[in-house]
Amino acid sequence: MGALEIGYGGLAAAHLLLLIPLAAMLWLRIPLVGQTLVSVVRMTVQLLLVGFYLQFLFRLGDWRLTALWLLIMIGVADLSILRGSRLCVRCFAGPLFLSLAAGTALPLFFFLGALLRLPDWMAPQYVVPIAGMILGNCLRADIIGIRTFYDAIRKSNRDYLRRLASGAGRAEAIRPYLRDACTAALAPTVATMATVGLVSLPGMMTGVILGGSGPLVAIQYQIAIMIAIFCGTAITVVAAILLTLRSAFAPAGTLDPHIFR
Amino acid sequence: MTPLPDIEIAGLDLAFAGRTILHDFSLQVAAGEKVVLAGASGSGKSSLLACLLGFLFPPAGRIAIRGELVTPKSVWRLRRAMALVQQEPDLGEQTVAEWIEEPFTFRANESLRGHLAQLPGLLRRLRLDPAILRQKGPALSGGEKQRIALASALLLDRPILLLDEPASALDPESRQAVYDGLADLEGQTLLMVSHDPSSALRFVDRTVRLSPPEDDHGRA
Repeated sequence: MGALEIGYGGLAAAHLLLLIPLAAMLWLRIPLVGQTLVSVVRMTVQLLLVGFYLQFLFRLGDWRLTALWLLIMIGVADLSILRGSRLCVRCFAGPLFLSLAAGTALPLFFFLGALLRLPDWMAPQYVVPIAGMILGNCLRADIIGIRTFYDAIRKSNRDYLRRLASGAGRAEAIRPYLRDACTAALAPTVATMATVGLVSLPGMMTGVILGGSGPLVAIQYQIAIMIAIFCGTAITVVAAILLTLRSAFAPAGTLDPHIFR
Repeated sequence: MTPLPDIEIAGLDLAFAGRTILHDFSLQVAAGEKVVLAGASGSGKSSLLACLLGFLFPPAGRIAIRGELVTPKSVWRLRRAMALVQQEPDLGEQTVAEWIEEPFTFRANESLRGHLAQLPGLLRRLRLDPAILRQKGPALSGGEKQRIALASALLLDRPILLLDEPASALDPESRQAVYDGLADLEGQTLLMVSHDPSSALRFVDRTVRLSPPEDDHGRA
C-alpha cells in the first residue's frame, strides 16, 4: 500500500490552514504577511513543477536525465551557499560545486550500491530523494562552515599574521580556523543524531512509513540516511574549505579581502 | 668582501587608497644592527614591516632578507629568519602558556622547543609574574600582552627581530625593562617601529625617520 493521495482539492483545503497564522499576523501587525504569501505561492508552484518533472523523470528512468537533475540540484545549492555566505561567486562557485558533488555522491552511491544493493544505481526514485536529503544538509553545513572559516580569519587577522610570521606553513596557519569552522558546521547534525526519533520523526522515516513499510524498515532507512548525511556534510565542509583556499589566499599566505561581498 | 645586510630595501614605493606613503625609499640594516623607524602615524612604518614579512608586496622596489629577495615563494622560508612583535597582540581566548607554546608546534620550530625552558626567567626580566601563564587573553592589559608577545618572539631566537611599537601600552618602568631586555640582545638584528623613539634612542644604533614623499625625506 502506498501513501494515501491528498488530491488537488485536499491540497487547496490544506492552504486554508494558513488563515490561522495569517489572521494572527494581521492582528499582531507582524510585518510578514506579504512575504508569507509570496513564499507560499512560490513553494506551491515550485513543488508542483518539480512534481510533474520528477514524475516524467521516474517514468523515463533515463540515467542521463537523472544525472542532469543531480547537477542542477548541486548548482542551485552552490549558488544558495554563496548567496547565504556573502562570498565572491566568481572565486568560489567552482570549488564549492566540486565539494558539494563529492559530499553528495560518495555517501549517495554507497547508500544505493552497498546498502540497498540496487541493480540500477541511477534509479531516479532513489537517487533524487536521497541526494536531496544529503545535499540539503550539505548546503546548510557549508554555509555555516565556509562563512565561519573566512570570517574568523578576517576577524583574527592579527593572530593569523602572527602565526605566519612565526614560521607556520599554510596548513598550520589555518588549522585552528578549520577546526572551529568544522565544529560549527557539523554540530547541528551531531545534535540531530542524538535526538532523532525522540524529538521528531524525521522525513525519511515518515516517508517510508507512509509508503507502506513497517517501522523497523523505516528506522533502518533513517539510521542509514543519518550516517550518510553526516558523512556527506563532513566531506563537503572540509572539501569546500580546502578547495577554496587557492582562490581566497595570496601565494604568500595572506587572506584576499576581495572574497567578501 | 662586504657582508650582506640582514635587511635591504631599495627603491620602494608604497601607496594606499591613491595616496603615496613612500616613494623610492631605501634602507639597509646590517647584521646585528639596532635601528628605529620613526615617523608620524600613517607614514608607512608598520607597512614596511608587513613588506618584510610578505604581508604586502609593494608595486615598485626590491626587498631582500639576508641577501635573498622576498617573493611570494621565498617568503615562507625567509619568515623563519624573523620574529614579529605586534603593537596590539591578539591572544584570543587561549591561555598565555598555550599562546606562547603554539609557534613551537609548527614544524619549522619543533627543534626549538627546548627554548621554552627559558620562559620563566624571561618573564621575570620583563617584569611579568610567571603565574600569568595560566591567564587567558581577555584578562590581560595591553601592556601585559605586548610583553608576552616580546617574550614569545625572543624565545624563537630569530636572527632578525621586527618590533611594531612594542612598548606603546607600557608604563615607564615596564618600558624601561623592555628596552633593557632589547639592549641586552647580542648579535640579533633589530628593526623597531616607534612614533616616539626618544626613550629608545639610548640602545639603538640609529634612527630612520619616515617623512611624506612630498618632503623628499623618505630615504635613509
